[in-house]
Amino acid sequence: MHVKAVGEGFIRPDIYEKVQGKAKYPDDIEMEGMLYAGVKRSTIPYGRVLKTNIDEIRQMEGVICVIDYTMIPGAKCHGVILKDIPILVQDIVKRVGDCILLIVAKDKVSLKKALDQVEVEYDVYQGVFTIEDALKEGAPILGDKSNILYDIKVKTGDIEAGFKEADYIAENCYHTQMTDHAFLQTETAVAHYDDEGVLTVHVATQYPHYDREEVARCLNIQEDEVKIINETIGGAFGGREDINPQCHAALATFITKKPVKVVYSREESTISRSKRHPMEMFYKTGVKKDGKLCALKVRIYGDTGAYASWGMNVLRKAAIHATGPYVIPNVDIEAKAVYTNNPYCGAMRGFGAAQVPLAYESQMDILAEKLTMHPLKFRYMNAFDVGSQTATGQKLKSSIGIKKCIEKIADVNQMEL
Amino acid sequence: MKRKGIGYASIFYGTGYGNGFPDESRATAELTKEGQIIISVGVSEVGQGGLSVMEQIAVETLKIKKDLIKLQYNNTSKMRDSGTAAASRQTYNTGNAVLDACRKLKDNMNKVKTNKNLENLYVQMKDCNIDTKTEGYFKATTSEVDLETGQGAPYWPYTFGVQKATVEVDDETGKVDIIEVTSAFDAGKIVNPITAQGQIIGGSTMGIGYAIMEEVNLNQGDIQNKNFSDYIIPTSKDIPKYHTYFIEDVEETGPYGAKGLGEPAMLPMAPAIINAIYDAIGVRIYEYPATCDRILLAIKNKNK
Repeated sequence: MHVKAVGEGFIRPDIYEKVQGKAKYPDDIEMEGMLYAGVKRSTIPYGRVLKTNIDEIRQMEGVICVIDYTMIPGAKCHGVILKDIPILVQDIVKRVGDCILLIVAKDKVSLKKALDQVEVEYDVYQGVFTIEDALKEGAPILGDKSNILYDIKVKTGDIEAGFKEADYIAENCYHTQMTDHAFLQTETAVAHYDDEGVLTVHVATQYPHYDREEVARCLNIQEDEVKIINETIGGAFGGREDINPQCHAALATFITKKPVKVVYSREESTISRSKRHPMEMFYKTGVKKDGKLCALKVRIYGDTGAYASWGMNVLRKAAIHATGPYVIPNVDIEAKAVYTNNPYCGAMRGFGAAQVPLAYESQMDILAEKLTMHPLKFRYMNAFDVGSQTATGQKLKSSIGIKKCIEKIADVNQMEL
Repeated sequence: MKRKGIGYASIFYGTGYGNGFPDESRATAELTKEGQIIISVGVSEVGQGGLSVMEQIAVETLKIKKDLIKLQYNNTSKMRDSGTAAASRQTYNTGNAVLDACRKLKDNMNKVKTNKNLENLYVQMKDCNIDTKTEGYFKATTSEVDLETGQGAPYWPYTFGVQKATVEVDDETGKVDIIEVTSAFDAGKIVNPITAQGQIIGGSTMGIGYAIMEEVNLNQGDIQNKNFSDYIIPTSKDIPKYHTYFIEDVEETGPYGAKGLGEPAMLPMAPAIINAIYDAIGVRIYEYPATCDRILLAIKNKNK
C-alpha cells in the first residue's frame, strides 16, 4: 500500500478540539470536594523570613491547612540542574516571588482572604540587581561561593595575530532585555488520588516525566506512586520547564488527601516563572579587505537572577553561537552567568542563541558597510559549508544549508552573490 | 516622515540538549487485537505540531492509514520518557525514536504474509509468537566542551535560517512598522510544511516583539509590568506579509532527513529588523527593544 505522509500538510490531530473550544486545559478540571491552594510569595528581593502569622491564618474560616517548609516530607528544593529553588522557603528569600506559605482552603474566596491576611516579618538584606554590582568586591554572595554560576571560554587560533591581519575592525557593546514567555494559559495544577491510590497531577507541562521526578522527590515517595497527566498546553516557549505549581498541588493533596487545584492569575504567572536572560555583549570583529572574517573577541555577561535553572546551558549556548554561522579562524569568547536578586532566568525559545544574533548580525552589517559590500554577499562569503570548522573545532559533516538559504533570498532579490 | 528600510540576518542553531548531556527519546509501537496501532510517546504538544510530526512518521514507516494510528502521549504511567518538548529536539530526537519503534513493528508485521486486515495480522503474529509491541530508542550524539577552550562537538544537528525584513520607520515618532518578511530556512526534510510554516510565522512574530516591543521592567527585582496591559506583545495587527521558503538540505541522521525548527524560527527576525531600521534612517540601535523613545533619542544624538 502506498502511503505518503512525511512532507504532506496533514491536519494536526489536536486542532479540532482547540478550534472548537473543546480542548481540556487543567483549569477545566472540577472534582467533587475539591479544595483550592495558593502560595504566599515574598514581596522583598533578598532577606530572611523572621516570622509569619501562620497560626492566625490556620484559624481563619474556610482554611483547611497552612503548610510551611517543615511539613514537606522530602526534598525542600527543586531545579532542572541544581536543586536550589525552594518549594517553600526555609528562611532565606532571594527574589520577589519566592514561596513562603502554602494555604489550602475550601474555596477560592476563603483562599484569597487568607492569602491577603498573611503577614511576613523580614530581616531585609541589601540585594544586587545589576551584573556590575554582583561582580563587585564585597557584593553579597548569592551562589555557592561566588556570584558567578558559570564561566565558559571558547578559543581557537591566535586572537592577536588575527586582529593584526584585519583591515577593518568593529567594536561595539550590545544589550538585550529580560523578556517573558507571555503564553496565554496561566499555570494550573490539579492533584488528587486516583482509584488505585496513585497521586495524580494534571498540569500543562513541557516534560511530564521530569515533573513526576520532582513531585516524588518532594513527597519522598517512589516515582511509580506519582502520575502526571499532561493536559492541553496553552503555550510554553520554555516557561513550563521549571517546576511551578506541580509540587504545591501535590503536597496539598498529600497532606489533605483531597483533590486540590492551584490556579495562577496572570500576575502570579508572570512573577513565578523563569525569564529570558538579559545579556551584555562586548564584540570586537575583524575583517580583511577581501571580505574574509579574521578575528572575533567576545565577552558576554548574562543576568541569571536568583536561581540556576538552565543558566549554565543558556550561557554555554550563547558562547558557542557567538560567532554566528560564519567561519572565523581566530576566536576568543568568554561568557558568564551571574547571580542577582532579579527574577531567575532559564529556558526561553532560542535559549542564549536568541541574544547573540543582535551582536553578531549588527557587526556583520557594520563591517559590510566598511567594505562597501552587499550585506548578503558578505554573509555568503563567510558562511559555513560542509567541511567547515566551528569555533569549537567541530567539523560540520552534513546538512549545512546556510549558503543555500542565502542563495534563496538573493534569488528573491534577483541579485547576484 | 516614514522611511523604508531593508535588513538581513542569518543564524544557526544547534538543536538538542547538547554538550554530551544524555539526550534520549523513547517510544513504543503496538498493534492491538482490535487492529489499531498505538504509538506511546512522551511528546508534549506545546503548539508546535509535535503530535502531527509523530503521527506522520508512524504513517510513513508503517504504511498504514492515519485513522488506524492512535497516539498516547499524556500519561506518565502509560508512556516512556521522551525528554523535554524543548531545545527544538522533538522532531529529530523523538521522531527518531518513533521511527525506530515503527520500523521494528513493521519488520515484525512483514514476517507474516497476509492480505487481510490488521485484526487478522495480530492473530497470526500471536500464533507465530512474533512481538506485536516494539520499543524505539534514540540518543543524540554530542560531546562535552572543555570549559577553558570550548573545544568539542557540543550540538548536532544544526538548523540554519536567513531573513529579509522590510520596515517603515517614522522619523518623527520613532515608530517602526514591519511591512514584509521573507524567510529561507534549512531544517532538513520538512515533515509537515503547514505546521512548519506556522512555526516560522509564530517565531518571527515573537522576534518582532523581542526587537521592538517587549521588556520586563524591574524595580529592585520587582516586576513592574505583570499584565498584558503593560507587557506588550505583538497582535495580529502587527503581523507583516510573510513569505517562507524551506531549503531541505536533508540530515542523514534525522527521521526522513528532518532537523528541529521551533527555536531557530524566532532567531533572525530581531537582528534583521535592527539592520532594517539602520537602512531606513541611518541610525544604529544597539539594544532591544528598539522602542519609539530609543529611536528618537538615537536620531537626536546623531543630529547633534
